[in-house]
This record gives sequence, structure tokens and C-alpha cells, in this order.
Amino acid sequence: MKPAALTYVRPRSLSEALQLLAEHGEEAKPIAGGQSLMPMLNMRLTTLDYLVDIDRLPDLDGIITAPDGGVYLGALVRHRDLATSTLIRERAPLLAECAPMIGHPAIRNRGTLGGSVAHADPAAELPAALVALDATVCLARVDGERELAAGEFFLDVFTTALLPGELVVGVRLPAAPPRTGWAFREQVRRHGDFALAGAAVRISLDPAGCCEESRVVLCGVGGAPYRSRAAEDLLRGRPPSPDLLAEVARQATAPLDPAGDVHASGAYRKEAARVCAERTLGTALERARR
Amino acid sequence: MGAGKYLGARILRKEDPRLLTGRGRYVADVTLPGLLHVAFVRSPHAHARVGAIDTAAALALPGVVAVLTGRDVAGKLRPIQGAARYPNFRSPDWPILAHDTVRYQGEAVAVVVAGSRYRAEDAAGLVAVAYDSLPAVTDAITALAAGSPLLYSEWGDNLFLRRAATIGDVDAAFARADVVLRRTYRTQRHTGVPLETRGCVAQYDAAMGHITLWTSSQVPHLIRSGVAELLDFPENCLRVVAPDVGGGFGVKCSIYPEEVLLPYLARLLDRPVKWIADRAEDLLTTTHAREHEHTIELAAARDGAILALRARIVVDSGAYSPWPWTASMEPGMAAGNLPGPYKIRNYQFEALSVCTNKTPLGPYRGVARPSVCFSIERAVDDLARELGRDPAEVRLRNLIDSYPYETVTGLLIDSGSLVPALHKMKEILEYDRLRAEQIEARAQGRLVGIGLANYTEQTAHAVTEFAKRNLPVTVGFDSATVRMDPQGTVWVAAGIHSHGQGLETTLAQLAADELGVPIDDVQVTYGDTQVSPYGMGTFGSRSAVIGGGAVIGAARTIRRKLEQIAATLLECAVDDLDLVGAPLVGAHPLVGAEARAGAQFQVKGVPSRSIPLRECARVAYYRAELIPDVGPGLDATQYFTNPPGTGTFSNAVHGAVVAVDSATGEVRIRRYVVVDDCGTVINPMVVHGQVVGGTAQGIGGALLEHLAYDDAGQLLTGTLMDYLLPTATDVPEIEVVSLHTPSPVTPLGMKGVGEGGAIAPGACLANAVTDALAPYGAAVNEMPITPELVLRLIRGGQI
Repeated sequence: MKPAALTYVRPRSLSEALQLLAEHGEEAKPIAGGQSLMPMLNMRLTTLDYLVDIDRLPDLDGIITAPDGGVYLGALVRHRDLATSTLIRERAPLLAECAPMIGHPAIRNRGTLGGSVAHADPAAELPAALVALDATVCLARVDGERELAAGEFFLDVFTTALLPGELVVGVRLPAAPPRTGWAFREQVRRHGDFALAGAAVRISLDPAGCCEESRVVLCGVGGAPYRSRAAEDLLRGRPPSPDLLAEVARQATAPLDPAGDVHASGAYRKEAARVCAERTLGTALERARR
Repeated sequence: MGAGKYLGARILRKEDPRLLTGRGRYVADVTLPGLLHVAFVRSPHAHARVGAIDTAAALALPGVVAVLTGRDVAGKLRPIQGAARYPNFRSPDWPILAHDTVRYQGEAVAVVVAGSRYRAEDAAGLVAVAYDSLPAVTDAITALAAGSPLLYSEWGDNLFLRRAATIGDVDAAFARADVVLRRTYRTQRHTGVPLETRGCVAQYDAAMGHITLWTSSQVPHLIRSGVAELLDFPENCLRVVAPDVGGGFGVKCSIYPEEVLLPYLARLLDRPVKWIADRAEDLLTTTHAREHEHTIELAAARDGAILALRARIVVDSGAYSPWPWTASMEPGMAAGNLPGPYKIRNYQFEALSVCTNKTPLGPYRGVARPSVCFSIERAVDDLARELGRDPAEVRLRNLIDSYPYETVTGLLIDSGSLVPALHKMKEILEYDRLRAEQIEARAQGRLVGIGLANYTEQTAHAVTEFAKRNLPVTVGFDSATVRMDPQGTVWVAAGIHSHGQGLETTLAQLAADELGVPIDDVQVTYGDTQVSPYGMGTFGSRSAVIGGGAVIGAARTIRRKLEQIAATLLECAVDDLDLVGAPLVGAHPLVGAEARAGAQFQVKGVPSRSIPLRECARVAYYRAELIPDVGPGLDATQYFTNPPGTGTFSNAVHGAVVAVDSATGEVRIRRYVVVDDCGTVINPMVVHGQVVGGTAQGIGGALLEHLAYDDAGQLLTGTLMDYLLPTATDVPEIEVVSLHTPSPVTPLGMKGVGEGGAIAPGACLANAVTDALAPYGAAVNEMPITPELVLRLIRGGQI
């Protein structure tokens, strides 16, 4: 379990890192916390010519508030920061809720937001949460920058819209409307494992208590975070009742046919996703009404 | 005249400062000048003919020193032969490197030696092996069917061994039974997963013609004998060192091909070589365990009395038979222990050890008993349900309640507290109140279950018991050398090994008590065949009793000699001596010089006539002329096998309260209680650690751990991301209450406790979940108890 030979480089600046990534294209990968890439290299599931270590780059680990109530998170923000930062708890409580479910303290101390986003494990917590939050993924390359909605960034299993030479440098979260509730829940074999299935949910109520807007996003049930617009449509404009939420959860998972593996069949994952959706909808509603 | 002050004391473990501050020395810490590194080329197929192997590209890589294939070493290294002495046992050759056929995924076909492990792995990836794949058989029931692919075509079937017996009048008992229950229970393949993987370093000393093998093993002397034989190398020139070992749990007490190959390579290349299994190798190639299917028939009277038991025991033993345990031990232990702690007098069994294209099965904490406990304890619960009686009541109706008790299979249960332990459990759980609350919970639609599981644990089996098992080595005894030096400090070299059991402390407690010295003056060493007398090592919940018996015996010899020296110097009879001022329990160097000065021999009633024990030690070496009738030196070796040799029985009952989420099938353990009885306790903290650790492992087996294979024989859970070990978040607080029924047959009344905790959790949790699912009439008859299994049970199979 030793990686094949590769060249390790630690650039001192973002521009130097982008230069290296541009130069080596597909043969190079950035590494930060290394919580996914190192095992893959050690097990020789992947080989690389260049490992570009961005772990200590300056200015990529900021948590910066936007005047509109939103927040910008640098790619090197650690999972531990998501779980413990007061600012995150105020402005992106959904991330604070799901971060403690990522692995264990040692993993959360090293693992980064940008790494989790770029790796795009279909069962990971953060991609689903970011889609539910209407996050924007900020990308940089040697000759420019672009921003992509999270919903367009995650494409399939370990597959994103990242182009060769591009680096995830941060994530931008818009301000939540008033009367917004949120919840994350996952079904796991053990605490800290990747989810068999999970749900990230956000509900915003209008002054009358009807659902104005919502996001119902599932993880572990397909290649990318699955956003159910059918579920969201069903909720919109209605006074949410337990029966409605149960129906929404059913609608959200009805079209799914997730693959099974040694930990659970596809049928179980689908059912677990439904239960997670129903329960998170209930919690989110309660929080929205507070 | 025994001091006895350390027995039963809560002494902090002597080994912990070393182990907890990272100063332990493991095989991976062994570094030698000129060390080379080894990587294996392992079969990706479960069953295949091995064709041509092209090593040219690997050899051409800079830094690669050697590449050897199975054909290069065939004939030079004898295959492992785990040959049980049953007449109908079939023992295949387990080659050190496969040369014509591979029979499980991960079996090594070639080995690469290079300047670094990185380079060795690079080269291993370049070795091109032509495999001609054969149909694989991956479960025991299929393997038994006519027309199944065969692992050893010359056998005509896939059986290592079939044993059967009928004891008592089984048919008559079934004929008069009010109730007959027939069930099939399954325990899945899982295993002990030590933090430290297997690994070896071997060095050849060309000047002396000696080989030293460092290996992560529980049984260094057995490894020395096995390796010497398979290498055809003189055993007196082979030294085996098992230094600090990071957990064993039984999986490090068989000989492995790597332990034979590394010394061979060291000698062939005249360079030291090192191989440390990575986690993927370890999960694939370290012996697996469990995987039983038991079809049980229970005949019972209306009042709950069990009249007879029939069982068909099928064990999936994997591809080869390990030495020295063989593929006979697991089904043998199962057949012998299935009647469990119950007064069953009519018993019929058929036990099959079946070969499949999977990793060989070997011992793991509990050996067969977690599987038989699962089956008999589930059956007793099912019987209670069938009769409409409470499971605790049906247990009490059948539990062994007088001792000694000879079981239907001839096991002599020397002593125990099965019935008091169950009463104690009911009291701790507030069982009747719990049952009332359960009714309330059900009325509210909540699923709450209560589970119980009893067991007796045969421990410290000595020569007579192992002789019955027909193993190639009768592994019953152990040994110790105890030496007091001129300073009066004590050195113990034990034949056992300690890899988490705290024996460095508990054996020191025993020696300190016998000799009247402070525990800090006792050093316990083990694990080096050059240092310790021939011992069998540590397994089978034996080391405190049998290793302890050896230490006590050797220490007593020295104590007698010290007494003779004191009597000579004080001019009195030995019987007129008292040992006074023996150290305070837990005396620490900081306690002060007087406390540490230690004990004095004193003429009874005459305090003025005394001599320090340390002075006697000094005289034994420096002033031998003063003790002409006693003679110099304070050194004794004791070989010990505990009479009558059949072992002593610990017992316990586990109790669990669980809540089941009816929407997800998730099981939450609300409470877990163990009432345990292992007789006289040397150190309560060590026993508590053993019970809690074993129970945690048992909970892992019950809920999480599964070495799952696909139909082609590919291991699906080959990393710790997929092989789910229990973590701190999965194991609840385990409440342990200890009873103490001393054994009448062992030194000081001690009983073994190492394995016990791991035996009952599967049964206990399956009973609890089955109880929780009673409103659905569903039963948990297999492990692991996954959320999906539970949800399917709730929904009648469909999701």
C-alpha cells in the first residue's frame, strides 16, 4: 500500500499552484487534506505524475461574511471549522449540522471543503448540503476565474465540471431568506461513514406559514447530489402538514433507482432516503417556524 | 506463609507507560543494516491454475534484488500441513507460494525483494502471471452439493472432516416431546482485526549459521518449531522473537506462509528482509473466522425442560487447514459446546468442515463458541416464545445448577454460578419492570427488546483436553523461568505471550506475592525463544491460569530455597520462619526506602532474629560457602499443565436492551450489562478490560463486521472502509458486574477470561432485536444484524 513514484511540489502562492496545474494538466492533482486522494494513491487506484500541495497556501482558508448576509468559504476551510465556527453556525447552519457527520475528528481536522467538493463522492455530505444552499463554487485557473452553481458543478460519481488546470478556490453561499429552516440527516452503518443515503433540506416560509421556497436534496442515491424539483413543486405555496411532508418525501424518492452494494441494497437506500427526507423536512419546518 | 497481597489488587499495568507513550517496540520497528523489503504478488482469482509467470520486467527494475515464484521454491520449502489426527481428516498441502493452483483470492504466487517497499510494490505490479481461472465455490452449502466445483479433485468432495455422534436416547426424547423446534441459525464470516497487522523480519547470521525471525505472533515457540520443520533447518539455530504485538485475538497463533518464506529469503540472499502486511493484505490473508450454519432441532416439554438436541453443524473452513489448529477445531469445538450451559442429556450432532475458495478459517476470540452461543441461545428464546413463557424462566428451568457437572459431550464443568448470575442480571436490569415498560412501549408503537444470553467458557484447557482434539500438537502446557538475582530483584521469563492481556502485570503480581517482593522489583519478559523456556504462547483464555501456574510453581521453588537459606543463616527450622514486612500493595518507588527494603525472614516470635530476604538472595550467589546444604543460585523453571487437564469453566450472562427504528431498521443499544464469573481475580482492572474489550468485539460481530464475498470469490470488504469495525460511537457503555466462584482445580482458583466477552453479544443482541420485533412475529436468525436485515424482517422480506 505504497503510492507509485510521483513528483511532489508545494507552491508558495495560488498563482504558482495554478501555473503548475496548467502546465501538467491531467497528470497533476492538487492535494490539501489528502483524506481521499492519499488512500487512492496508496492503494494505487490512481497514479499521478505531479502532486501539487496547496495545503498551506495563504488566503484560501477564510470564512468571510458578505454584506448581504451571505458568506464566502475558502477551499481550505477544514470540516472542523464548519462544525465549530460561530459564523458558520449563524450564516450556514446546515453546514454546521452536517460537518460532524464527516468521518472522525482526525479526518475533520485535515479534510477540506474544497477537497470534498472537488472529489465529489456521491455519498458525501457537503455536496448535497451545498446544492441545498444554492451555493456557488468558485473556480480559478491560470488565465481566469469562473463561478458555477453547485447544482451544475456536480455531474456524476467523482465527476465534476472542473476542467484540467482548474482549482476549486472557494464556495459562496447566499443569504437565507427570513423564516428559513434547514436540516441534514443521513443513514449510516456507523457514525462518520459515508451515507447509505441522506437528505439536505431547506424550507422558507411566507408570512402566512406556507412554503415559499424549498430545496430537497438527497445524497447516496445516484452519481451526484439529487435535487428533487418535483418535491419542491409539491411543497410550494402549501401549508406544510405531516401528511404533505410524507408525500413530498415519497415524491422525492419515487423516480430513484439507486445501486446497491455490500452495505445496503438499492431498495434499502431508496427507502432510507425517503425516511431521511421526511424526517429532515419535519425538522426544517419546525426550525423555519421558530 | 504466603504473602498474597497483590492478588486481587487494582495494580496499574506495568506495560502501559511503555505502550501508551509510543515506546513499544513492534516488528515494524526492527531495522537492520542492509535491510531489504518484500512485497507479494497475490492471486486476484479465487480459484485458478497458475500458468507461466514472467518476472523479467520486475527484475529489470533498478533496486529489485530478487523475484521468486512458487515454482522456484517448491521442493525447497515444505507446505504447511494442518493435519488433524482423526482417521478421516483430509489434510491438503498449503504451499508457501502457490505453484500450480491458487485456491483463494490473495494467495501468494510470487515474491519480490527490493531496496524499499515502494520499489518492491512497483516490481510486484510488473510480474505477469498467466492464470487459467477455474470455477470457484464460495459457500459451504453449495460446496456440499453434488456437482460442486472441487478444491481437491482427488478427494471427490469438499470435506476436510465429517464427525457425528449420538449420545443418549435422542429419538425417544423427540418422540415424547410436547414441542419440537427446528431452526437454522447462521453466523457470518468475520475475524479478529488487530491494530497491528501481521509482519516479519528475518536475518541470517552466516558466521554462526543462525536465523532470527521477528514476527507478530502469539506463539513464538510454536512458530519456531513450525518454521524449522518447513525450512528443514535445525531448531537450535533458529530464534523467533515476537516483540510487542499490537493485538492477536487468535488470528496470530497459526503459522503463515510469510513466516516460512522470510527466513528462507534472508538465508538465500544473506540479507535481512522485512515484510509488514498492509491492511488490505491483512484482511485478505490473515485467517478468517466464524461462518457457521447450524440446523437445530430442540425437543422440549411443556414446562420448558429441554429433552434433546439435534444439530447439523456446517463450517465454511476456507481453502486450507492451518497449523497447528487444523480445519477440525472449529466444528469440533462447536459440536462439543453447542449444548451450552444447559442440562441436556440427549444429543445428536453431525459436524462438517467444508473447504471453499476463501481465506482459511482459523481461531478468533471465542473459537466456535460465539456461533454455538448464537444458535443455542436463539433456540432457547424461540422455545420460550413457542411455549408462551418468559425466556429467563426457560433458561432457569434448564441451566446447570450443581457442580461439578459433566455435560452430555463429556466436558467437566468444575464450578460456576450460572443460576445466581442470571438472577443477578434480572436484578440489575430490573427485569420485571422492563417487561412492563416494554408492553407500554409497544402500545405506543415503539419497538423495544430485551435480550439475554448465557454461556460457559471452557478456559485454560490443558493437556488432556487438547489430546482429545487430535491436533498435530497437544498444546496444553506452559512454562516459566523465575530468577532472583543477588540484588533480590526478580526476573520472570514466561512461555506465554502478552499482547493486550496485561500479563506483564498479572504474572508479576503472582511472582511478587509468592516471593514477598515489591511488584516493581519484578520484571516479566516473554516472546523470545532464546530467553523463555518452551511455551505454547497465548490463546484459549489460558495464560493467567496455565502461565500463572508455571510462574507460581517456579517462584515457590525459589521461595523454598530462600527459606532454606534463611533457616541455615538463622540456625532454625524452615517451619519456624515467618516472612514479615512484605511490601504494601501498590508500593511505588516513591513510597520510601523502608517500604521498599522489603520483607524479612524472622524466627517466629523473636523479632531480633531476622534476616532480610534480599540478604538471602545475596548469600545465594556471593556467599555459597555459608549454605553448603542448600547450594548456590536462585533460578527455577517450571512446566505446568493444570490437572485434570480438561480446563476450568468461566460463566457469564449478557443482557441488552435495544430500541429498533421501525422505519429504518436501525438498532440502538440502550443498555448492555455483563454479569461475569471468572473465579479468583488477579487484577480486577485487567479482567474488566478483557470483558469490555471482548464485548466490544462481539458487538462488532453482531452488528457490523462481515467478510463478504461475491460468487466469484472476491472479497467485497477488503478495506476498513467496507469492513466495519465497531468504534467508540458504536459501543455503548458496558456495565460489568463480577461474581467470584473459585475453581477447585486451578492455582488460586483462577479461571480464564480472555475470550468470554466476545462469545455472547451476537446471541444477546439477536435475542433483543427478535424480542423487539415480536409484534411482527419476525426472528433474527443470522448476523450481522444490519438495518436492512431488520427492515426486511419488519416488512416480511420486501422493502
